[in-house]
Amino acid sequence: MPVIIDVCPVDELGPGEMRLVEWEDLEIGVFNCGGNLYAIEDRCSHDNGPLAEGEFDPDSCTVECPRHGSLFDLKTGQPKTLPAYVPVETYPVIIQDQTIKLEVE
Amino acid sequence: MAVDVTNENAALAAINADYEQRYGFRDAENYLYKAPKGLNREIVEKISEFKSEPQWMREFRLKALEHFMSRPQPTWGSPMLQEIDYDDIHYFVRASEKPGRSWDDVPEDVKKTFDRLGIPEAERKFLAGVGAQYESEVVYHQVREDLEKQGVIFVDMDSGLREHEDIVREHFATVIPPNDNKLAALNSAVWSGGSFVYVPEGVHVEMPLQAYFRINTENMGQFERTLIIAEPGSYVHYVEGCTAPTYSSNSLHSAVVELIAKPGARIRYTTVQNWSTNVFNLVTKRAVAQEDATVEWVDCNLGSRLTMKYPSVYLMGERAHGEILSIAFAGKGQHQDAGGKIIHAAPNTTSNIFAKSISKDGGRGSYRGLLEIAKGAHGARSKVVCDALLLDEHSRSDTYPTIRIGEDDVNVGHEATVSRVGEDQLFYLMSHGIPEDEASKLIVNGFIEPITKELPMEYAVEMNRLIELQMEGSIG
Repeated sequence: MPVIIDVCPVDELGPGEMRLVEWEDLEIGVFNCGGNLYAIEDRCSHDNGPLAEGEFDPDSCTVECPRHGSLFDLKTGQPKTLPAYVPVETYPVIIQDQTIKLEVE
Repeated sequence: MAVDVTNENAALAAINADYEQRYGFRDAENYLYKAPKGLNREIVEKISEFKSEPQWMREFRLKALEHFMSRPQPTWGSPMLQEIDYDDIHYFVRASEKPGRSWDDVPEDVKKTFDRLGIPEAERKFLAGVGAQYESEVVYHQVREDLEKQGVIFVDMDSGLREHEDIVREHFATVIPPNDNKLAALNSAVWSGGSFVYVPEGVHVEMPLQAYFRINTENMGQFERTLIIAEPGSYVHYVEGCTAPTYSSNSLHSAVVELIAKPGARIRYTTVQNWSTNVFNLVTKRAVAQEDATVEWVDCNLGSRLTMKYPSVYLMGERAHGEILSIAFAGKGQHQDAGGKIIHAAPNTTSNIFAKSISKDGGRGSYRGLLEIAKGAHGARSKVVCDALLLDEHSRSDTYPTIRIGEDDVNVGHEATVSRVGEDQLFYLMSHGIPEDEASKLIVNGFIEPITKELPMEYAVEMNRLIELQMEGSIG
């Protein structure tokens, strides 16, 4: 059963910014790529290390794993470079009442 | 009849006995530029400036340098790693202005070196193209005209970036990102030379392309970067060889090699590594095989003080096939930590890893391998065989296999053996009238034959000759 969780007010996550949120035992990174919002699990599929605080490129809408350098497409969760080859989980982002929200399960 | 095993040991005593004479010579240093020892931002900027690189490559290098500086030296693999002093290395040495297309364009003493190593002769006889790297840069590059007309690109990596920037930018570091590991970061910061190979769709390059790498300077670091792209349905065989003079202080060779085999393509990459025993050889090699593609690594390691190298294949498309054939020969003072990795990331993919190591005179051979079958890779099949031959009681062999299987309907086999050249084997051969030193050679050649038979004939002959030399010498 999907659950809706709050991230932050819309004006607190400007273009080029990232916000980490926790829900139960999940950590999720929410990214603003030039006004479009995307959310991925904060866990690299290569070795389970943290991912969302890696280098974020808002132009290409990618994040680079700080541990081994795999580049992930934030829109799809797909790795664009090795060594990771399995996509990471993505989550729908909703804006309601000027608040950024995520749909999680 | 009892066999005197001390004679057997004597027969095996001289690993690469004639190395000094055949490969260990050194030239006078008439360089256009030699960077001072040590690594910093200025050196990296200077390399980029020398090569008139685009801004994105300069930024790529500087970012990689930060990764290199911030990562600790690996603590696994070999204790010898701690002997490397990164401040005691020349990171860039330029021997000639630009790569020549004729051997006459190559500086005279450098040309003599390659003559002595037999490269121009090999080119005339059986190669489709040759690249020759001396210190940091490629001094000679040539590919057969008919292949050039078919669109085959075989140039040094510096020229590849200059002349085919779009293709390079699309593929460069997508297989091995700069912060994959500390040594890949180092290479990404200071890379120079190596080969760029592009084979258009459907083109089969029937004869091998060869690159030859030579270090001449003491305390030299060689960091070539190779990228091979095989478009759908194409085929290419790339062969590399390497030697250096023997010095009492250490040199470092740290390459990055990326292979991309697109659907239905096949790439074979053969290495005959014969560095002198003062060279640390720490190389990252990785390949991607898309749907129905095949990638084969044939990896022969004879030289160096320490080699840590595990060529890998990511089988990303359905029915892709990966093959790793590895020989490691560890003599006195050497540690060959070799092996391979195969990742089955798609259904019905197949792979083989065959690794053979020979240790003698206190040398250490290690097999380190990974076989991974990802979730969803239904119907994958793989076989891993690693055999070690110990030629005396002082030598060492280790096996570190890792197998991860994420699906049930797969077929995986793993076999490992460790053996000694025993009295009974020698006795059997000698009872048929074969002298003891010949018998020892036969046993070793028989042991590695499943792999040498995969080499092109000229290289198989060379490998057998090298092994025989190593077995020869002091009997009687």
